[in-house]
Amino acid sequence: MFEKVLIANRGEIALRVLRACRELGIRTVVVYSSADADSLPVRLADEAVRIGPPASRRSYLNAAAIVEAARRTGAQAVHPGYGFLSEDADFAEICADNGLTFIGPPPQVMSALGDKSTARALMLEAGLPLPPGSVQTLPTVEAAAEVAAGIGYPVIVKAAAGGGGRGMTVVRRPADLARAYARTRAAAQAVFGDDRVYVERYLTDARHVEVQVLCDAHGAGVHLGTRDCSVQRRHQKLVEEAPAPGLSAATLDAIAATALRGVLGVGFTGAGTVEFLVDDEERFHFLEINCRIQVEHPVTEMITGVDLVHEQLHVAAGVPLRLRQSDVRPHGVAVECRINVEDPARGFAPTPGRLTRFTPPGGPFTRVDTHGHVGYVVGPHYDSLLAKVAVWGPDRTLALDRLERALDEFDVDGPGVRTTIPFVRRVLDDPTFRKAAHTTALVDRLLAASAPAPPPPPPRAAGRPCRPAAVAAAPPAARPAPRSDSLDHQPGRTR
Amino acid sequence: MTAESATSAPSPNGGRPGHEEVLTGLRRHARQLVDELAGPVRRVRLRSGDTVLEVEWHDPVGAVPAPRPAALAPAPVAPPPVAAGPVADGRSVVRSPMVGTFYRAPEPGAAPFVAVGDLVRPGQVIGIVEAMKLMNEVTADRAGRVIELLVGDGQPVEYDQPLVAVETL
Repeated sequence: MFEKVLIANRGEIALRVLRACRELGIRTVVVYSSADADSLPVRLADEAVRIGPPASRRSYLNAAAIVEAARRTGAQAVHPGYGFLSEDADFAEICADNGLTFIGPPPQVMSALGDKSTARALMLEAGLPLPPGSVQTLPTVEAAAEVAAGIGYPVIVKAAAGGGGRGMTVVRRPADLARAYARTRAAAQAVFGDDRVYVERYLTDARHVEVQVLCDAHGAGVHLGTRDCSVQRRHQKLVEEAPAPGLSAATLDAIAATALRGVLGVGFTGAGTVEFLVDDEERFHFLEINCRIQVEHPVTEMITGVDLVHEQLHVAAGVPLRLRQSDVRPHGVAVECRINVEDPARGFAPTPGRLTRFTPPGGPFTRVDTHGHVGYVVGPHYDSLLAKVAVWGPDRTLALDRLERALDEFDVDGPGVRTTIPFVRRVLDDPTFRKAAHTTALVDRLLAASAPAPPPPPPRAAGRPCRPAAVAAAPPAARPAPRSDSLDHQPGRTR
Repeated sequence: MTAESATSAPSPNGGRPGHEEVLTGLRRHARQLVDELAGPVRRVRLRSGDTVLEVEWHDPVGAVPAPRPAALAPAPVAPPPVAAGPVADGRSVVRSPMVGTFYRAPEPGAAPFVAVGDLVRPGQVIGIVEAMKLMNEVTADRAGRVIELLVGDGQPVEYDQPLVAVETL
């Protein structure tokens, strides 16, 4: 096992990785930007190296500075977390060139799967079902129009280099295709430096179901069951659960087995996620593969008892997988919600500021992953995720009741600070969601309904009155959401 | 000044990158450099055989971009001189623009760039920070007299670490 690992990330995931290292007796180096000098990961790390200014382009995305910090501290491996350089094949190569182990799949696997169009072709070869659409990227608007006409509207134009919910545009009518095609290409060029796009059928009433896989460097692999991430706003997930509810056991098994076959066929190693869309007839279609630990990994850990970050470290150190498929026995239901520092009443605009109150929930079967604390300043430089609250229950009903109880306890506030807690509560209260009959259209429907009203505080026994955290009291502004396409969610947007 | 980056890194797919692929990467890299570095650009030269990218500025910016495979995520490009905050009355510090190793002289055995008591002018080189085998010049941002060398020769430094204290005149 490694003696020292460098964590090339920040916030809650840096803390998550640091904890795993501690538990395995590995010393930690945290690299940080000036904006994160007072953060919890920096405080808890064995060593910390300041690598740049707040702008992530010059800090968390600065491969040379990170490698330099690793060399100086004698770290043997780099854990990239999610986002930033976690799926950057060039960075993985630079690590290898400098004798560092990149904790993730081999660079060539990452670069093949990171290109959505290549990934589609590879998975088609491996026998995975794809949504109707083009396997090749489409060089002209005429070619795109032809594909779209062939598969029928609505369609979605996607950037081959896209990811993390960025670089896609839904087109409902043929008349809108030319503009959407041009816009997606231009935006993809601007954000990813690669303007190739393809077109596939847009499944409106579908579920987003994904499979967690874990493969070692010796050709063995297991899947750890499914997660449902259908509660999304603009392709950004808000609530995630494991296993995916409301699907037959046969479908769940088929999706998981198919996913594992797909990744083993391309030489994948480490922890990864295979994403699918499942339609109302339980037909599933491959979407993409993520080559990193995901934000929502805790729900899988809670139903399987497997620590995915420990496993990532073992696999990267060359240890053969100790788990066999028969050892993976998911039990119960886990649900997680993301608490972002955003104002749901104002188009989910980020609301940076200082936290004057911060008491996350506790209690049985309740896990909170957060880097927040009283006095912490949520800055404008990085994405707005502040905490993840995940709970486990023997069945879905109890898990959801437990999550509501936990959110009631969450006390977070600060001047100008708003969170997504009130909106998550609306999701949890929604009858369709309660019945597990929801699709990816749920959030849009909730937003289209009335202006968000905070749910009445639940009756509670005597004790310290606990305000629902930071209930959005601001009147809905006339201002539209900050940006109109989903290419904006770049961590480290500096403004 | 001239920044040059030459590399023959294999492309991620294991093979040699194609000519077109390399040029595209170079173009992007060049655009990035031009965006990131201060001063009007005089000339940009791209070449794909052995991958050369050269950008020439009218004004010295005291920065040399690191070599990297074409089409790579951001490389350390020294910012325009770091704003030096006053430490005490009439004292300011020159800070490190990046993580690396600090050198007080251009090469082993050579005379140091500056010594205590020297007068420096804005833009004068006071030392070098080596990162990833690349030498990055660090320059003073104002006129003054060197009153203290805060980091020894060959010592590791972090981003923004004070290197030299200057008494402003």
